[in-house]
Amino acid sequence: MDSLILPTTPAAGGIEGIDREPFEKFLIHEGRLLDDRKFEAWMELFTEDGLYWVPSTQDQPDPFNQASLFFDDRQLMKTRIERLRHPRIHIQTPPSRTNHMVSNVIVEEADENAESFLVSSSMMMGEYRLDVQRFFMGRQFHRLVREGNTFRITLKRVNLINCDSAFEAMAVPI
Amino acid sequence: MFDGTPDEISKLVEPGRVHRRVYTDNNIFELEMERIFGRAWMFAGHTSQIPNPGDYVTSDIGRQPIIFIRHKDGKPKVLLNRCAHRGPKVCNEPCGNAKALTCLYHGWTYDTDGSLIDVSMPEGAAPHFDKKNFGLAKAPRMGEYRGFVFVSLANKGVSFNDFLGSMKANIDDLVDRAPDGEIMLDAGIHRYFFRGNWKLQVENVLDSYHVPYSHASTVNKKGEQFSRREGDDEGAQVVEGKTEKTADAWKGRRSYVVDFGHGWTSNTELKEKERSSPAYDAYKVALAEKVGQERMEEILVPEFHNSLLYPNCSIMGLNIHVRIIRPISTDLTEVTVYPVRLKGAPDEMNSANIRLLNVTHSATSFVQTDDLESFRRTQVGLQSLQSEWIDLSRGMGEEEPDPHYNATRESAMHEMAIRAQYQAWLHYMREAA
Ligand code: FES
Ligand SMILES: [Fe+2]
Repeated sequence: MDSLILPTTPAAGGIEGIDREPFEKFLIHEGRLLDDRKFEAWMELFTEDGLYWVPSTQDQPDPFNQASLFFDDRQLMKTRIERLRHPRIHIQTPPSRTNHMVSNVIVEEADENAESFLVSSSMMMGEYRLDVQRFFMGRQFHRLVREGNTFRITLKRVNLINCDSAFEAMAVPI
Repeated sequence: MFDGTPDEISKLVEPGRVHRRVYTDNNIFELEMERIFGRAWMFAGHTSQIPNPGDYVTSDIGRQPIIFIRHKDGKPKVLLNRCAHRGPKVCNEPCGNAKALTCLYHGWTYDTDGSLIDVSMPEGAAPHFDKKNFGLAKAPRMGEYRGFVFVSLANKGVSFNDFLGSMKANIDDLVDRAPDGEIMLDAGIHRYFFRGNWKLQVENVLDSYHVPYSHASTVNKKGEQFSRREGDDEGAQVVEGKTEKTADAWKGRRSYVVDFGHGWTSNTELKEKERSSPAYDAYKVALAEKVGQERMEEILVPEFHNSLLYPNCSIMGLNIHVRIIRPISTDLTEVTVYPVRLKGAPDEMNSANIRLLNVTHSATSFVQTDDLESFRRTQVGLQSLQSEWIDLSRGMGEEEPDPHYNATRESAMHEMAIRAQYQAWLHYMREAA
């Protein structure tokens, strides 16, 4: 799937003449939904064929021939979220508290009609649960399509700097 | 004082219970590293990870770093990853290809079979210094079965063949599913850790009793777990939908044990006849082409759910993978999960297996995360001194011989398999290294 492949040498500062602000707003909103545990609303940001991918190696070429930390289509997202809502999900009893930070937003690609975009940003998510605080950090890539005043996600790919390390259990999406 | 005498060790395991110290005591952990992980046959790698001469993968056996490498002559070798000069880890990458291995510190260079080929400034060497005595240490004993390479870090002991024994059938069950009769462990890894003793994960591998309660969050309103196989849109019946009591189908699972603490659990009845999807159907055709229709049907009967090669290697037949449990300290354990690719199977089939494993056995999975929480909480609970013993008595006295497998069997809702693990534990631990 070509849409999973990302440009290796983006233009410095991103595409000229495209305002970053709406994208920034969208990405901040997306992180906020996760932090507020509004997982269903978060899922709704994705198009019906939208994909959420967190590779487990650097420069992982695809999610089909190698293990990934997350590779969810809408169906798996739904199962994941239903489980997050289950009263007996032990790994979320008590639940994690998270905070997302998004910065260094770059519009990397835009189609001619300014309808679909590739946006990258630096992300950090702090997670706290039961006396343990940890951080996930990396560069995330969103493929977005314009929908009215906002966007929907066709791909969210998070390249964690420690994607190939051993992790303690991770229950909530990054 | 704890010296690890046979007498002291024997006191830790009683019929139907074990002492909490086996999970919490650092002295016991040190002895386990010596007497179990320093002695039993341990998974070192799979030949598909190192197809070409010079290919290597690094990992650890217990706490000891190793290099699994294919030598120039085409044979796999298992070397201890420690410079013979002053001790640094020589190979620092998770995997790669090397013509020779050079230590970063003073540049000693080793061949791909570990022999020392070059010492910098050889003029300074002591008169009695002989390169022959300074190779990278090799694992003293190595064995291979269908690409699985195991080593023992002890010079003597039970042979690999005897160790594996009838568990060969469990490996065959997995490998025979590949149309080309070979599996590939080349689809990356999942790696996770938990703050608990290694045995908690090992015991869990053959514990079907925990599933209905521990994994409640993976079960839908009909009481079925989400599907864990390509071409099967229903998962196993775990609980009765309304009552949330353990389903009879689930209760029908059996566990089996053989020598050395090894064993397996059987599968819940799965809807084999109805199993179908484009990828699965294409796979069946590919398999039948290689082995014939009759054998294909035989191979695809899901006989083993999960198999354990004690102490730390699990081979899962349902959603296929190999899992290695690595103790780091008394209360810290790392688990590596290798997705399995079936050689000769259509890409879509292999891809479906890889994708399913992301949600069943990764750090982010729907299943494993709740197990990890159980292990972590157990380690905390066991700090309590009010109770000395862990109860493992379910089904005691109900064990029966199974002539078909030449094994001992029991309901998988019981704890026979764990009791057998502790008999093996005693066997290793009572004997000083
Ligand atoms: S320590 Fe390795 S060369 Fe000296
Ligand atoms: Fe489990």
